[in-house]
Amino acid sequence: MSSPLLPPLSLTLPDLPAGALAFIGLAAIAVLGVLASPAARALLRRVLSPGAAIILLIAVAASVGVALIQPKPPVGLPFWVFADVHYRVYSSIAADWTRRHPDHPVHVLQLTNPALERRMLSGFLAGTPVADIIAAERPVAAKAFVGPLEDVGFVDVTDRLRAEGLLENILPNSLTPWTTRGRIFGLPLDVHPVLLAYRSDLVEAAGIDVTQVETWEDYFRLLRPLQQDLDGDGRPDRWLLNLWDTSGDLVLMLLDQAGGGLFDARDHPQLNAPRNAEVLAQIVTWVAGPGRVCADVDLFSASGHRQRLDGVVIGTLMPDWMCGLWKQEIPGLAGKVKLMPLPAWERGGRRTSVWRGGTMLGISKRAGDPEGAWGFARHLAMSTELAADLYRQTGILPPNRALWSLPVFDEPDPYFSGQPIGRIFLGVADDVPVRSSSPFAMAAQSYLGNALVNLRGWADATGTYDRPALRTEAQRLLDAAQRQLEREIGRNTFLADAP
Amino acid sequence: MKRNRIYHSRVAPWIFVGPFVVSFGLFTLWPLLQSLVLAFQQTFGPATTRWVGLRNFEYLIGDPLFWQALGNTAQFTLGSLFIQLPVALGLALLLNRPGIRGRGLYRLTFFAPSLVGLPFVAILFGPIFEKRTGLLNAGLHWLTGGAWNPEFAWMQNYVMSSLILAALWMYAGFNMVYFLAALQNVSKELLEAATIDGCNAWQRFRHVVIPEIRPVGGFVVLLSVIGSFQMFELSYILLNNSGGPDNRGLTVVMYLYQTGFLTGDLGYASAIGWVLALLLMGIALLQRHLNRKYEDN
Amino acid sequence: MIPTHTLRAVIYGLLIFFSVLTLIPFAYLVAGALKTKYDFAATLFLPSGDGFLGIGWDRLTLRNFGALLFDFPVPRAMLNSFFYSAVHAVGATLLCAMGGYGLTKLHFPGRSLITGVVLLSLIIPGPLLLAPSFQLLYQLGLLDRYAGLILPGLTPAFGVFLFRQAMLRGVPDELVEAARIDGAGEIRIFLELALPLVRPMIGAFLLISFLGAWNNFIGPQIILQSPELQPLSVALNNLRGVYGTDYGLIMAGTLVSIAPVMCLFLLLQREFISGLTAGAVKG
Repeated sequence: MSSPLLPPLSLTLPDLPAGALAFIGLAAIAVLGVLASPAARALLRRVLSPGAAIILLIAVAASVGVALIQPKPPVGLPFWVFADVHYRVYSSIAADWTRRHPDHPVHVLQLTNPALERRMLSGFLAGTPVADIIAAERPVAAKAFVGPLEDVGFVDVTDRLRAEGLLENILPNSLTPWTTRGRIFGLPLDVHPVLLAYRSDLVEAAGIDVTQVETWEDYFRLLRPLQQDLDGDGRPDRWLLNLWDTSGDLVLMLLDQAGGGLFDARDHPQLNAPRNAEVLAQIVTWVAGPGRVCADVDLFSASGHRQRLDGVVIGTLMPDWMCGLWKQEIPGLAGKVKLMPLPAWERGGRRTSVWRGGTMLGISKRAGDPEGAWGFARHLAMSTELAADLYRQTGILPPNRALWSLPVFDEPDPYFSGQPIGRIFLGVADDVPVRSSSPFAMAAQSYLGNALVNLRGWADATGTYDRPALRTEAQRLLDAAQRQLEREIGRNTFLADAP
Repeated sequence: MKRNRIYHSRVAPWIFVGPFVVSFGLFTLWPLLQSLVLAFQQTFGPATTRWVGLRNFEYLIGDPLFWQALGNTAQFTLGSLFIQLPVALGLALLLNRPGIRGRGLYRLTFFAPSLVGLPFVAILFGPIFEKRTGLLNAGLHWLTGGAWNPEFAWMQNYVMSSLILAALWMYAGFNMVYFLAALQNVSKELLEAATIDGCNAWQRFRHVVIPEIRPVGGFVVLLSVIGSFQMFELSYILLNNSGGPDNRGLTVVMYLYQTGFLTGDLGYASAIGWVLALLLMGIALLQRHLNRKYEDN
Repeated sequence: MIPTHTLRAVIYGLLIFFSVLTLIPFAYLVAGALKTKYDFAATLFLPSGDGFLGIGWDRLTLRNFGALLFDFPVPRAMLNSFFYSAVHAVGATLLCAMGGYGLTKLHFPGRSLITGVVLLSLIIPGPLLLAPSFQLLYQLGLLDRYAGLILPGLTPAFGVFLFRQAMLRGVPDELVEAARIDGAGEIRIFLELALPLVRPMIGAFLLISFLGAWNNFIGPQIILQSPELQPLSVALNNLRGVYGTDYGLIMAGTLVSIAPVMCLFLLLQREFISGLTAGAVKG
């Protein structure tokens, strides 16, 4: 590797408190000097209007405030998390852990995902400060897997997992997103199986029996009477499934369920797999044209929650963690929803899928206290109270099979009309499709999503909504997407070196 | 006296310009030079770099995403120019009529949105553009008695138009202020003379007002073009750091940010940045040239 | 010819129409800040109910503001925002005014070169500098420091450009020469002659740079790590969860964030506008 042409500058500036104090000292002297001298006061009046003087005053007052109220430096191993659900659960666990292990205190810090990603990468790649423990979401963690194996910024935990006996207990498909070239770089925290949540109140009121549903075709046929125009403006206001050509995460869940998906078993992109073309063509017939049965309702916004409550959509693809989110954000749906296995693509087909995200606990190679960090991470992965707690608060199911027998997963859940949802999710956990660890997952998802948007655009423009024609066009678009993705991957001269 | 002259000519300038030159050199020029070097490298984060010569620029020329981003950005810029600026000028003309009561209040109202920072505007417009429950869709559905389709997909099928709309709300009043200031400088005598010569309102506008406000207009156009070409926060926050459906909301600076910070390729990002900078310089020079040409006539 | 009173009615009608359009998002913001997250998407403005005018007045809440004050690090972020913005504004205004004076009233070798570089750098896309600046701040040991955020922004090319314009137009060379002949030093001429003459630009640029720093999002997001150091723009964005957002809270936060800026603007309105427009004249 060549070094940059311009040599790095190296200077150091005085520490913040000293610098701030010096600044305040100067400011104070200046203020006193100005107040003491009439000439200076007059000059100030000629230079500064009252409004400008107020900004000057704010500068002085805020400086004094900042200098007086020094933030306490946090104590403990820094632990970065990106989601507020993680933050809530983990900060109480970390406080508890710190009480019991005062020599390995842990300090939880919440960052937004882009900020976490940037800081993690610049920590790994440029040596800036980085947390000892990082809860990294899949696309973020994968960024660390580009380049030679020995340059991965996370600690290789394969041998530790084996030594602790965790390796055989953890669901294999929960390890794949954190495994590159056979080595595991993080402790998996989730399985993320997917079921279908549906408005049981509306479905049951219409006298529809969902146990009759085995395939998507059954689902849309049996529930069709529910699709109605409620306000009389000539457009239906209630639709059968939350899905749209632009809802990338939902589309991906359907592709994974169908046995298509973005990457093959060796992490090579397979956007143009015929199965993908078939699924995309089918999706277009659901979201566009005369046979439309789906609507676009945002999964995470307040407006989306409102529309779920209003029954704009009957069914929603539901990963385990989203149950916790619904309980918190849409309390009004309590007792009005139930879960059922995903309708399959063919009779006998897979009845679940996987959420594209997922989180691992990674330990930085530059951690100040790697043993403490590992101890804490292991605690999170193995503790039974924690698994129960995490499930109650977030709905997240543990990948560690040893924990699956906990009674908490059999508790009837009043929100889901008394269903023991933990057990239902665990019942499909073994069928969850594989997630890849490719750093190009987001790029691949974006190319695939664009292909679907264009397919839908083509369908609307030409009025073509029959599946064979759509499939041909989908194949053409996916072939182009595959070429573009391969071109993008080929540009990376670093990956070319990787075995 | 002699000492004083030396002081004036040698030392004094650097007392004034020195702090600026040092800080500008360190925090603007130095990173700029670094980015120029980076444009010929491929990087994996800042530490790992590899010299690739012109490969970044070669790739860029054949990169459909770059051209799409450039197209989107151009669309946004044209929208800003041809919608926002006429609205701004129109508002300024309304406010400039003699004898308008509450002029200050109207001006404040129109200007207020530009005080709301871009991150806050983006947060605010998120729920405004939503399907069905969004302020625009629900409001128009109600106003039109159900004729408006509440599933109108602002942020999906009309991403750039939606961003233009948000920018219109935010910047129309800001640009109005420039036009208003220019209008208030239009010579009253000239206008009166034109009236006496029998010019109607349109002729007065065309032949007296427009030439008088032209320099300010040129400045506002340049400012809008440069600002629009660098648009980032609006789509970054409104589209959750993605390009939106089929990258319809991808702008050049967002693409730069994505390649540089999300895929760690600071080299390619710098190449994009330099192409953009050269493009903007070209536009500025073109504007200067047109200005000169106009003045010569 | 259209009768004058009809014309007046049309003009006022248009003005009021556009004012209402402009104010609607603000009304939406205020109403949103007063609603719970469950009511946020249920009604566009005020929640419906059986109170006066069919509005559920009892469902309005100040809890969002209470939560901002007590449950989230918003007061600290507010202090930080005031600190960064005001210190940045004062520093940048001083340096840019000095730079503008030096580049117009003093003669020295390299002056036109510096001027040219400044004017050219007006069109550098900011994000181009993000990556190398991050590296530089790291090498200087300024990451996650107040100074790391303030120092790099002290000399915006736009500021020097504005003050150069103001000095060219507002400070006659003859006056400066006369003062020099009277034996006044440059610092005195700058402070007592030049600065008072560009007083509107000082007010304007103080506010411009205050606004710029207050609304800066990318800078603090990259440079600062500790939540104790973050300003409002970042703290507020952190309230937007990855998978779920309490919009009532966000709207309250947005309202709190723009209120101080609005107040300052009211104080500095005249200078701000005259300062802004001064840059528009060719120089």
